[in-house]
Amino acid sequence: MPATATPLSLTRFRTLSEALLAAPPNQPFATMWQGEGESESVTFGEFTNWAKAEAAYFRGQGLQYGDTVILIMPQGVPLMTAFAGAMLLGAVPAILAYPTFKVDPAKYRFGLAGVSANLRAKLIVLDESFPEELLQCVSLTGQSRLLRSGARPKSRVEPADLPEADPDHVAFIQHSAGTTGLQKGVALSHAAVLRQLSHLASALSVGPQDRIYSWLPLYHDMGLIACFILPMVCHLAIVMQSPSDWVMHPGSMLQLISEYRCSLTWIPNFAYQFVSRRVDPEDYPGLNLDSLRALINCSEPVRASSMDEFFEAYKNHGLRREALQACYAMAENVFAVTQSGINGKSGPCRITVDGDKFYSDRIVVPVRADHSRALCLMSSGQCLPENHVRIANANGEDLPEGAVGEILIRSDSMLEGYYNRPDLTAQALRDGFYWSGDVGFCLDRELYVVGRKKDLIIVAGKNIYPQDVEEIAFGHPAIHDGRAVAFGLYNRDLGTEDIVVVAEVTDEEQLKNPLPIESAIRNAVVGELGVSVRAVYLKPPRWIVKSTAGKSARATTREKLISEHPELQRDGNGANR
Amino acid sequence: MMTDQKQQIIEFIMKTIVREGLQISEDTPLVSSGLIDSFALVDILNKLEEVAKMRIPAGKVQPKDMDTVRRMFETAQRVGKPRT
Repeated sequence: MPATATPLSLTRFRTLSEALLAAPPNQPFATMWQGEGESESVTFGEFTNWAKAEAAYFRGQGLQYGDTVILIMPQGVPLMTAFAGAMLLGAVPAILAYPTFKVDPAKYRFGLAGVSANLRAKLIVLDESFPEELLQCVSLTGQSRLLRSGARPKSRVEPADLPEADPDHVAFIQHSAGTTGLQKGVALSHAAVLRQLSHLASALSVGPQDRIYSWLPLYHDMGLIACFILPMVCHLAIVMQSPSDWVMHPGSMLQLISEYRCSLTWIPNFAYQFVSRRVDPEDYPGLNLDSLRALINCSEPVRASSMDEFFEAYKNHGLRREALQACYAMAENVFAVTQSGINGKSGPCRITVDGDKFYSDRIVVPVRADHSRALCLMSSGQCLPENHVRIANANGEDLPEGAVGEILIRSDSMLEGYYNRPDLTAQALRDGFYWSGDVGFCLDRELYVVGRKKDLIIVAGKNIYPQDVEEIAFGHPAIHDGRAVAFGLYNRDLGTEDIVVVAEVTDEEQLKNPLPIESAIRNAVVGELGVSVRAVYLKPPRWIVKSTAGKSARATTREKLISEHPELQRDGNGANR
Repeated sequence: MMTDQKQQIIEFIMKTIVREGLQISEDTPLVSSGLIDSFALVDILNKLEEVAKMRIPAGKVQPKDMDTVRRMFETAQRVGKPRT
């Protein structure tokens, strides 16, 4: 599925630092919203001066061209200026997650130790409030130094003092999503990032009037690339808040989009339901979302039902259907591989397919919506320029249109390797393509992502994607949306996998009479997917393990369930609940 | 002497944990002892905002700030803003 190149004017910049230094100084850049009447705003000029002061300070601390620097700071302008300051010096910044009250301390410690050990950083910059008890989890090499962020000297590094910029030099390291301890560092050059941003800005027709809203963490590619580096390079304004504040007050997202007239936003699929089920627009007088050009669902897979629910909730408050867009993105490609709405189309495509053939034969056969096995799938759009997708079987052989296989990607912004991990690089980059581990198909130039290869459940020859089972569980009113996990468990007696579901109820009282809920979920799965579920476990709220990115950690949740229910591991039969 | 506000939070936590025979005082460790997990803290923080009549910037709150009911109110005083 090739795409033709349409270069944008961003190519006039050789490096990200050059793009930042070229920004009009009086133009608004970042607004960090921290609550009613409390926000911090900087222009590009103020931001750049702050970044130059950080650069001077870092240089004084011995940071040099090519050195890695870890930043562990809360979401906000100081984190962004520290990042930009390190880049101005030609050092290589990497943002790691800042501990919050939502993150399990033990899991955070484990992740921090693993990731910081792999980065072997020269400097580790910690926020002033970074807890002392977590310091021991930061892995230090012989040359590492710990620094606390805070007041900086007034001296600044001026452009004339900056090292000669090399476009192919590593600009920064971002980490792939996943369990923090196993996150992989992706080193990206200035040139690769600029190529990606040119394609993305072109696909979205980004213009100077655009303003981005974001609650996405900067240690994740969606937050870092789409909501910090893109506006920095394109000289756009951004309105941000911390992920924790958003979780506490999801309505603040709509409030800020409305108040600041934001036009572009990226959110993961779960956020569509999370917001629409919690936020009554009537609680926000004057709410008006008509400034939104694109609210981009950036998940694997994107769900039509989630986007429909969001649209229904806010369509009377200015939200336009054509604003609901989708993309397929990953840290390994800097960010986006596909984007919907390209070539004048109004949004991601939907197709209705025969569910039986889809699950059994791994092929797409379009049917009418009233077909007894109708299954609605939504695309993630078309490839960006210079991004090329192949769908392959396990042997790496190309599959035809409409056949389901692993998504392989080649692009001009692809990673060259995982940082300090040649073993993982060799697994992921083969024959000039990045093997994504995602499963999907192409049809009429659109890419449909249907799940993760490693999560696939094979039930008597049928390929079941856990996301589909989980979506059905979320549909039950007693189940907390976004809090169900499905996985496969090998059944030796039958020689195939069984489906096991664990789901959180919204109210613990419901655990006193679980059978009707379990039964309803089983019936719905059989009805919609044509496979039976071996066991449904209902759990109290907050039982399921989440990753730092807020996604359900399927493997860890699976282990937790098996440890609590050893009967699941008994050969073949186990929990005949 | 325990305030009504602290008592309201303790009752809310007791309802959240639902463990027979469990008694909680304003100094009972909750997070570090494993009595509540970090995800429960979102609900507790919301309740704290309601009871203390403050808006608490969640991004400034660490698990240790929520370890006991006493610390929760100290945190609310330290980082919270009166609700408008």
